[in-house]
Amino acid sequence: MKIHLLALAAAVVAMAAPQQFQLDLDHLAAKASNAVDLSLTGPTLRFAAKFLDGHDPDEAQIKKLIGGLQGIYIKHFEFKHDNEWTQADLDRVRNQLHAPEWERIVGVKSAEEESNAEIYLHVENGKNTGVAILEAEPRELTVVNIVGPVDLEGLADLGGHFDIPKLTIPKEKKSK
Amino acid sequence: MDWLDDELKRAFERQEPPPDFAARTIARARRRSGLALPRWAVAAAAALVIASAGYGYRWRQGEAAKQQVLLAFRIASTKVNHIQMQVLR
Repeated sequence: MKIHLLALAAAVVAMAAPQQFQLDLDHLAAKASNAVDLSLTGPTLRFAAKFLDGHDPDEAQIKKLIGGLQGIYIKHFEFKHDNEWTQADLDRVRNQLHAPEWERIVGVKSAEEESNAEIYLHVENGKNTGVAILEAEPRELTVVNIVGPVDLEGLADLGGHFDIPKLTIPKEKKSK
Repeated sequence: MDWLDDELKRAFERQEPPPDFAARTIARARRRSGLALPRWAVAAAAALVIASAGYGYRWRQGEAAKQQVLLAFRIASTKVNHIQMQVLR
C-alpha cells in the first residue's frame, strides 16, 4: 500500500509542470494570525476569466495576464510576533529554484525593513515560462508561484488598481 | 292516475351513463381545480427550475473563482511593486 502511495505521489510530482514547485509551508498556518493559501489551476483560471468583465479596464488587464497561465499558487502568512517562521522554511522553497531552469533576476535585502525579497524567472528556450516571488519579513512570509508566461511589467502595472497600493519612487531617487 | 304513475316511472327510470362519463367528469374536475397542468408544462417548469439552480450555482462558483484570482493578482502585484521600490531605493 505504501509503495502504491509513493508511486502515486511520484506520478503526481512528475505530472506537475517544471515551473511549479512545492510550497511546504502548511505548518505555518497554525502560527499565523492571517494566512492566505491560493491554489488556482489552469482550468480554474480559465473559468474565472469568463467572469471577468472585458469592458472594465482593470479586469480586462487581469484577463490579459491570465491568458496562457497554467496556475497560480500563493502562500502568504502574517504573524503577531517576530521569527515565527524559520530560515529553513524559506530554504526549503528556495532550494527548488536552482539554475539553469530558474534564474534569480532580483534579490533585495533591506536592513531597514529587515526584509529579504527575491524574484526568480523560470526560463525555457530563452522564454519566461514561470515566476517565483519570495518575500520575507520578521512578521510576514509570502511565496508566489506563477506557472506560465508572466508579464511582470503588466503585473506591476496593476498597482493602483484593485486596492493594490501604487508605490511611487521619490523623484530624486528615480533620477539616479 | 295511471298516466301520472307512468310519467313518474319514466322520469325516474334508471339510465346508464355514457361509457366515457367517469373520465370526462374527472377531467373536468381537474381542470376546475387548476392542479392539472399538462405534463409538458410540468416538465418545462421543472427543467427551468433545475437550469436556474444550475446557473446560480455556476455563477456563484465563477464569482468565487474570480475573487480568488483578483486576490492572487493583488498579492503578486503588491509584492512586485514593493520589490521594485526596494531596488530603486
